[in-house]
Amino acid sequence: MTAIAVQQSAGRRNRYRSRRRVVSLATHFALLIGGLAWLYPLFWALGSSLKSDDQFFSSGLNPLPSHFMWSNYLQAWQEASFGRYFLNTLLITLGTVLVTLVVTSMAGYVLARTQFPGKKLCLGLVSATLFLPHGYTIIPIFDLMQRVHLLDSLWSVIIVQASSGVVFGTFLFMGYFMAIDRELEDAAQVDGAGFNQTFWRIMLPLSGPMVATVGLFTAITAWNSFFLPLVFTLGRPELRTLAVGMYAFIGENSTDWTLLCAGTVITLAPIIVLFLFLQRFFVNGLAGAVKQ
Amino acid sequence: MSSPTFSRRSLLRAAGMGAAAATLGGAGLSACSSSSSSSGDGITVNYWDSFVSQAPWVDNEIKLFEKANPKIKIKKTTQVSDQYPNLVSLAFRSANAPDMFQLPKSPPLTQQVTQNWLTPLDKWATDSWKSRYPQNSFIEGNNEFNGKIYSAPFAGPAPSLQLYVHNGVFKNAGLTNPDGSVAVPKTWDDVSRAAATIKAKSGGKVYGFGFGNSANTTLAWWLDLFVRGAGSPGGAASAGIDSMDSRVGKWTYASDRNYADFIALLLQWKKNGYIYPNSMSISDEQARAYFERGQFGMTVGGVWNQPEWTEHKFTDYSLMTLPSPTGTPQALFYGPPGGYLFAISSKAKHPDETFAWFDWLGGVESGKRYVESGQGLSIYPDANDTKNITSKPFAQYVAMAGTAVYGPQPTIRNPDVAKLTLGTVKPDINDVLAGVYTGQIKNVASSLSDLEGRRNTALSDAIKKANGSGAKVSQADFVFPDFDPLKPYTTKPAS
Amino acid sequence: MVAVSHTRRADLAPAPAPAARSARRRARKYLWSYLYLTPMLVLLLAFIVYPIVASLGYTLYQWNGIGDPSTFVGLGNFRQIIHDSIFWRSLGHTFVYAAIVVPVQLVLALALALVLNNRRLRFASFYRTLFFLPVVTSAAVIGVVIQLLVSNFGDSINTILMDLHLTHSHIDWLGDPHFALGIVIAVGIWHTFGYNLVYFLAGLQTIPEELYEAARLDGAGRIAIFRRITIPMLRAVGVVILVLAIIGTFQIFDLVQVLTSGGPYFSTEVVNTYIYHLAFGGTNASAVQPDVGLASAASFFFGLLLIVFSVVQVVVLRTLVRRRAAGRERQGGQS
Repeated sequence: MTAIAVQQSAGRRNRYRSRRRVVSLATHFALLIGGLAWLYPLFWALGSSLKSDDQFFSSGLNPLPSHFMWSNYLQAWQEASFGRYFLNTLLITLGTVLVTLVVTSMAGYVLARTQFPGKKLCLGLVSATLFLPHGYTIIPIFDLMQRVHLLDSLWSVIIVQASSGVVFGTFLFMGYFMAIDRELEDAAQVDGAGFNQTFWRIMLPLSGPMVATVGLFTAITAWNSFFLPLVFTLGRPELRTLAVGMYAFIGENSTDWTLLCAGTVITLAPIIVLFLFLQRFFVNGLAGAVKQ
Repeated sequence: MSSPTFSRRSLLRAAGMGAAAATLGGAGLSACSSSSSSSGDGITVNYWDSFVSQAPWVDNEIKLFEKANPKIKIKKTTQVSDQYPNLVSLAFRSANAPDMFQLPKSPPLTQQVTQNWLTPLDKWATDSWKSRYPQNSFIEGNNEFNGKIYSAPFAGPAPSLQLYVHNGVFKNAGLTNPDGSVAVPKTWDDVSRAAATIKAKSGGKVYGFGFGNSANTTLAWWLDLFVRGAGSPGGAASAGIDSMDSRVGKWTYASDRNYADFIALLLQWKKNGYIYPNSMSISDEQARAYFERGQFGMTVGGVWNQPEWTEHKFTDYSLMTLPSPTGTPQALFYGPPGGYLFAISSKAKHPDETFAWFDWLGGVESGKRYVESGQGLSIYPDANDTKNITSKPFAQYVAMAGTAVYGPQPTIRNPDVAKLTLGTVKPDINDVLAGVYTGQIKNVASSLSDLEGRRNTALSDAIKKANGSGAKVSQADFVFPDFDPLKPYTTKPAS
Repeated sequence: MVAVSHTRRADLAPAPAPAARSARRRARKYLWSYLYLTPMLVLLLAFIVYPIVASLGYTLYQWNGIGDPSTFVGLGNFRQIIHDSIFWRSLGHTFVYAAIVVPVQLVLALALALVLNNRRLRFASFYRTLFFLPVVTSAAVIGVVIQLLVSNFGDSINTILMDLHLTHSHIDWLGDPHFALGIVIAVGIWHTFGYNLVYFLAGLQTIPEELYEAARLDGAGRIAIFRRITIPMLRAVGVVILVLAIIGTFQIFDLVQVLTSGGPYFSTEVVNTYIYHLAFGGTNASAVQPDVGLASAASFFFGLLLIVFSVVQVVVLRTLVRRRAAGRERQGGQS
C-alpha cells in the first residue's frame, strides 16, 4: 500500500514536473522566437554588410548573403577613416562617461544626503530643465566654447556631451544614494571620516551598480553622437568620430549601402560588447535607484 | 563610391596614422587650434568641399597639383553634405574658416560677400585670365559684387533633368524601333503608352515609372521636366526667383494650365497602376537601385544618376529631356550667365598659393578630367569634347547641352534685386504635389492658385521690405515681355 | 516630481549633534555640499540654461542664422506659428504618437519584465539583451534599414493582403498618409522599448521575494498576487517610468526625420521636425532659406505648451493620489 502511495505521489510529482517543463519550454520557445524576430532588422543589417552591392537589392528580406563579402569591412574601415576616428570616439566616450560620473555622483550624493540652504531651489532648477524647450541652442554654445578657447578639441565635445546628461544622471544617483542605509555613513563619521572620505571611500564604492548604469547610458549616447563632434571639431577634421565618418558613404546624391551596413556593424559592436559586460550591474543599479 | 583609386586609399591611411598620433599626444590639451599652416618649408592650403561621388576627381587633382607645385600641400576636408551650409557658417563664426571652399547653397552669395567671408579675386583676375572663360562669365549680382569678382563659373549650361529609359525593360515590352533600337518616348502620349505597354507585357510585374520621394523633392522634378516641354519656362523649382515665368514676372502655377494638365496625367498614371507603388516611401538612391534592376522602365533625375550606374557597370539605358505634348519642346532650361562653385575665403593665410589651387581646380585641364569622370559638363567648351567620353549615356547627356540656355536675369537689369530676401513659402510645390499624389489634397486647382498667390505675395513683400531699407526694386524688374522661351536671352543692364 | 517627494522624506531625517561643534561641522558640510554641487550646476547653467535663455532673443527676429540677427519682427514669429495650421497638425501628430507609444510600450514592457523576472527562468539575461539591443542603435541607422525593409517587406505583405482581397491596390507603407504615422509609431515602440523593459525589471527586483512567498502561502493566485503586490509596489517606479516615457515621446525627432522627414504632405510631421525644417530650411535639394527666428519661436511656444500640459498632469495626478490616499485612510479607519 505504501509502495502504491509512493508511486502515486511520484507520479503526481512527475506529471507536475513535466507540465512545468512543457510550460517552461514553451516560454523559452516564445522568448527566443520573439527575441530573434525583434532583432530581425539588426540581423538584416548584419547580413547586408556582407552582401555584394548587387545582392543587397536583389535578395529582398533574406538576411543571409550568398557569399560573404568580408572585403566590405576592410573597405568601410579604410574609406571612412575608422582607424583614425575609432580612437577619437573612444576618448570622447571615456571622457564623457568619466566627467558625467564624477559630476552626477557628487551632485546626486549631496542632494540625497545633506541639508543646506537653497537645496529646494537647486532641485527645482534641475527638474525644470527636463521640461524646458530645447530650441536653437547650437549658436550660443558654439560662441561660448569659442570664448573659452575650447573649440577644436575633444574637451569641447566631452563637456557639451556630458552636460546633456547631467540632469538624468544626477536624478539616478540621488535615488540610489537615498536607498543606501544611513548607518554605514554614520559609522564612518564616528570613525572620524570627513565628508570627502565618506563619499569617495564608502558611498561611491557602494554605488557600483549605479556607476555602471549611468556609465552605460552615457556611453550609448556619447558613442552614437554625431552633431556635436562634427561641429566642435570643425577646424580639425582629424578629431572626428565614427558617426561622422559614416558620411563617407552618404553623398548628396549617392549612398553606398553595403559599406554603410558594414560601417554600422563596426560602430555598434563595441557598444554591444560593453552592454553585455555591464548588463548584470545595470539592472541592479536601476533597481537600487528606484528603491524607496 | 566603392572603388577608390589606390592613391586615395594610401593617402587616407597615411593621414590617418599621423592623425592618430596627434590625437593621442594632444587629445584635448592643445585647446587652441594648431592650424597647420606650414609643414616643413612648404605651405598648406585648407580646402573644403562636400563632394562624395566627385571625390576621386578632386583627389586626383590634388595629386597632380602637388606634383606641379611641390611647395604647396592641399589639406582637403570633405564635410558632411547635408550639414554643409551650417558648418561653413559656424566656421566663419570661429577661427576655423578654410582657405578655399566650395560655396554653400545658403546663405545667398550676396550675404556671404556682405558678411566678409570671401576674398575678391581681382588681384589675380587679369583680363588675360578672364579670357579663358567664355564671354560674359563675370556678371554683377551673380559672381561679381560692387565691381569685384568673388568666384568663377565651373559647370557649363546643361539640362538639369532628364527622363531615363531602361533599355532592357523597353526591349522586353517590345518598345523598339524597326531597327531594333529602343523607342525612346518623345511626347507625353508616348510616355503614357510606353508605361501602359510595360505594365501589360510584364503582367504587372514591371512598372512604367518609379521614383523615390522620401526626401520630398522628386515629384517636383517630374513636374518641372514635363511642363517645360509643354512651354512653361518657370518649371517647378521650390525656391528662388528663377522659377517664375519671366515673360510676366510671376509664378503661374494656376494661370498656366500646363501644371494642372501634368498633375492630372500623373494622377491618371497612378490610377492605372503605372507607377512603382513604393515610390513615395523610398529615397532617390533606392529608386536608382531599383531602376538599375529593371523594376520600372522610366524615371526622372539628373546627371548625378550616372556615376553610380557606371560604377556598377550598368550602362544599358537611354535618356532624353523635355518630353512635350507635341514632340517639340516649347520651353528649355535656363541658367544665369556667370556661375560659381569655389571661392577663396577672406581668412586665407596664403592667398597667392590658395589662388594657385583655385586656378588649377577651375582650369581647363581639370575641367576636362571632370567631364571625363562623368560628373557633368564644364564651362569650357573645349573640355566638353565627346571624343574623350567612353560612357554612351553620358555622351547622350553631353549632346543635349543645347537644351539649356541663358535666360533673363533680373539681377543684371537691376543689381539691387540681389538684396531681396524672399520669405519661406510653406507648403511649397513639393508639399502640394505630395498632398495631391497621396490624395490628401482633393482640389488641385485651388491649391495651385493658393500656392501661386503665396509665392507672388512673398515676392511683393520682399520688394517692399528691401525698398524700405534703401534698395530700389520694383515688380517690373522681373518682367521680360520680349523673352522667347525657345531662345537664349541676353539681359541688358538698365541704363 | 519624484524629486520633490524624495526631498520631503529627506527633510524629515534629523541631524543630531551637540550645539557648538555641530554649528562648525554644519558650516563645513554646507561648504562641501556646495562644492559637490558646483560642477553639475556649472555644466547645467552654462550649457543647458544659458543657451536656452540666449536663444530666447532670436524669437523676435527674422534671421537665417548668419551673422547677428538684425531684422526685428517683435512677436510676429509667434503670431505666424499660432496661425500656421501645419504647426497645429504636427502638434496633433506628436500627441497621437505619445498617446499610442507610451501605453503600448509600457504595457508590453511590463508584461515581458514579469516573465523575465521569474527567478526560475534560465537565460533571462540573454533574453533581456535581445530585447534591449535596438536601444543601442542610432536612429540614423534604423531609418535606413527600416526604409529598405519596409519597401521589401511591404511587397510581401501586400501580396498576401491582395490575395486575401483585403485591399485591391498595393499599399506604400511609408508613403501613404493612412499608414505612415502608424509605421513610425511601430518603429518608435520597437526602438526605445528596451529602456522601459529594464526600468520595469529594476522596479520588480526591488520587491522583496518574501512578500510573494507570504502571499503564496496564503493561497493567493497569480492574478491576485499581481494585483495586490506587484502593482502597488511598482506604483512609485511606474510614475517615474511614465514621466520619462512621456518626456521622451514628446521630443520625438530623429526617427521621424530619417523615416519620412514628416511626409507625405505633413502626415507624419511632429513638432520637432516642423521646427527643424524651419531652422535648417528644407532638404539639401530644395534650398529654402532657413529661418532661425521662426524656428526658435516655434520651439519656445511648444515648450510653453508642454509646461502647461505637465503642470496640469501633475495637478491631476496629485489630486488622484490624494483622493486615493484619503479613500484608503477611510477604509483603514473602518477596519
